[in-house]
Amino acid sequence: MPRRSKGADAPIAVSEGAGGVLIAPEGAIDAESIGRVRETLERKLPSRLAGAVTLDFSKVTHLDASGVSVAVFLFRLAKGAGVGFEITGADKDRRLLIDLALRGQEPQEPAKAPGFVREVGAASIAIRDGVVDLVRFIGEIALVCVHLVRYPQHLRVGDTIAAMARHGSDAIAVVGLLGFLIGAIIAFQTFDPMAKYGAKLQVADVVAVSVVRELGPLITAIILAGRSGSAFAAEIGTMKVTQELDALRTFGIDPVRFLVIPRLIATTVVTPMLAIWASILGVAGGYMILGAEGFTLAQYTDEVRQALTVGGFVQGLVKAAVFAILVASIGCLSGLRTGQGPGAVGLSTTRAVVAGIVAIILADSVLGAFFYTLGI
Amino acid sequence: MPAPSAPAPRPTARETAISLRGVSIGYDRPIIEGIDLDILKGEILFIGGGSGCGKTTLLSCLTALRKPLAGSITIDGVDIVDSDDDAIRSVRRRFGVMYQLGALFGGKTLLENVRLPLEEFTDLPDDVMDDVARAKLGLVGLGAHALKQPSEISGGMQKRAAIARALALDPPIIFLDEPSAGLDPVTSADLDAMIEALNRMLGTTFVIISHELASIFAIGQRFAMLDGARRKLVALGAPAELRDHSDDEWVRRFLNRVPTQES
Ligand SMILES: Nc1ncnc2c1ncn2[C@@H]1O[C@H](COP(=O)(O)OP(=O)(O)O)[C@@H](O)[C@H]1O
Ligand SMILES: [Mg+2]
Repeated sequence: MPRRSKGADAPIAVSEGAGGVLIAPEGAIDAESIGRVRETLERKLPSRLAGAVTLDFSKVTHLDASGVSVAVFLFRLAKGAGVGFEITGADKDRRLLIDLALRGQEPQEPAKAPGFVREVGAASIAIRDGVVDLVRFIGEIALVCVHLVRYPQHLRVGDTIAAMARHGSDAIAVVGLLGFLIGAIIAFQTFDPMAKYGAKLQVADVVAVSVVRELGPLITAIILAGRSGSAFAAEIGTMKVTQELDALRTFGIDPVRFLVIPRLIATTVVTPMLAIWASILGVAGGYMILGAEGFTLAQYTDEVRQALTVGGFVQGLVKAAVFAILVASIGCLSGLRTGQGPGAVGLSTTRAVVAGIVAIILADSVLGAFFYTLGI
Repeated sequence: MPAPSAPAPRPTARETAISLRGVSIGYDRPIIEGIDLDILKGEILFIGGGSGCGKTTLLSCLTALRKPLAGSITIDGVDIVDSDDDAIRSVRRRFGVMYQLGALFGGKTLLENVRLPLEEFTDLPDDVMDDVARAKLGLVGLGAHALKQPSEISGGMQKRAAIARALALDPPIIFLDEPSAGLDPVTSADLDAMIEALNRMLGTTFVIISHELASIFAIGQRFAMLDGARRKLVALGAPAELRDHSDDEWVRRFLNRVPTQES
């Protein structure tokens, strides 16, 4: 084994006899000399261990806990080769330390890396399991909701209202800002192409329809996934790691009723409202561009009013509510399924946001097709 | 059979490893005041006292994590209260600490936890570092668990892994905060035997915070007792001596495990 030389050899006598190999180091074996001792030892050891290994400590003047690792090394080597291992010449304290250090030591098999096909398979199964888990969880939530309809006094009203403030009113500014900018951007980007057909004022239709039906709810839901889905996963995940969830369960308190339902109700109520808010500001953002092009506010609002239908408005609200349910349940589920260790909460949070956004887009496509078929 | 014994590392006229003069500890207000204490090289000193009396706070002052409200602390002659960061960093290399909660790095195996100081402060080859780390884990009875994560083992095992990590560089001073809390009696006795063997062989100084009377009497050479109510160090001496003859009633009650009602 090529290895950087560490100066002079350590004094170690290695002799092979009929009974096996006798190793007798001299002087100090400690944190200071261990590198040199190991290098010399590995060079002097026979390439194949035929008989028992005996490690003799009678010439060792100084041994510390790092020095004991020589015994661990030889013990594991001997065990791997299927030969015996023995210590001689160690006084009571050394014997004790070495015996303690050797207990439970095994030659470890390195773990095999899984192949590509196996990894892809495992990942697909994980996705399927995740979806099944989510569906089951939504079923569980539905059962608790049925229970709450029968016993409304079991709803944690205070927590629900607090969650509405935290995940609704606190998001007003950011949702409004993004809604306004999106409306302005759409108007800005569509203005020139529409102007070619002499349909400058119809830019208002484009803004109104896309913002109210589609982008208002979508932006709101994506903000929700980033702000609230992640928070749900982190809050509940931390409680899982610190065994607070177990503590709840041992009181007979269902974490779904206690933690999930208030968050779910709060987001389902506030998200459609936020979506309306985003849409209003989006339409206002559109006027910023058209106003600059010389259209009056009255012209603009007239055009918007003609473009909007009750169906389109309802479609936006339904979407927002569905997105909210998805984001909240994915966030909470992700928190409840948090593993152990310090990375676990971070992992759950990431999963909540990514899975939440994927679910939003998927649901948006399905709902879009659904409303189209209904002719709304 | 008996080996020529190691050169006695324990000095005959005992030198001071850590010296405290007029030390007051606390947060906004002092918890314990006016501690004068010399911790000797090569001794096993236990620090005891009611829970919440300031033992962990004292430990964080001794390990230079926080400054005392008043007084001076020196380790091997280096002032750790007023020195600059470089001096404190070099003093830190001379001790190993096991914190009350273990403080293992999660997401790393026990082996990697113990290896970490070796990676940072030595240039040993990988496989030698592995074996040194394995030996330290073996000493605390975790030889068979080297490749587990902290989250996969019990609280008592985490504490022992943290002790192995404190031993990683074979420092001359080792601080342990309640090492036997959460350990079964056999494991706790094994730990005591290891501490005593290291202390005898190498003259390692141990400063151990503990309520474990069995350990205190088995391996404690001196016992220092803090009292939160009187806010001071109330006793210092050989544990058995204090138990039988201390003139302080609270110290005798503590070491004899007498409940409050019987006083
Ligand atoms: N970070 C902190 N800030 C303020 N007070 C603290 C802090 N940590 C501990 N304390 C208080 O200091 C006292 C001593 O705590 P500690 O040293 O942990 O006690 P113990 O003797 O049980 O180890 C306790 O009353 C505790 O409430
Ligand atoms: Mg403490």
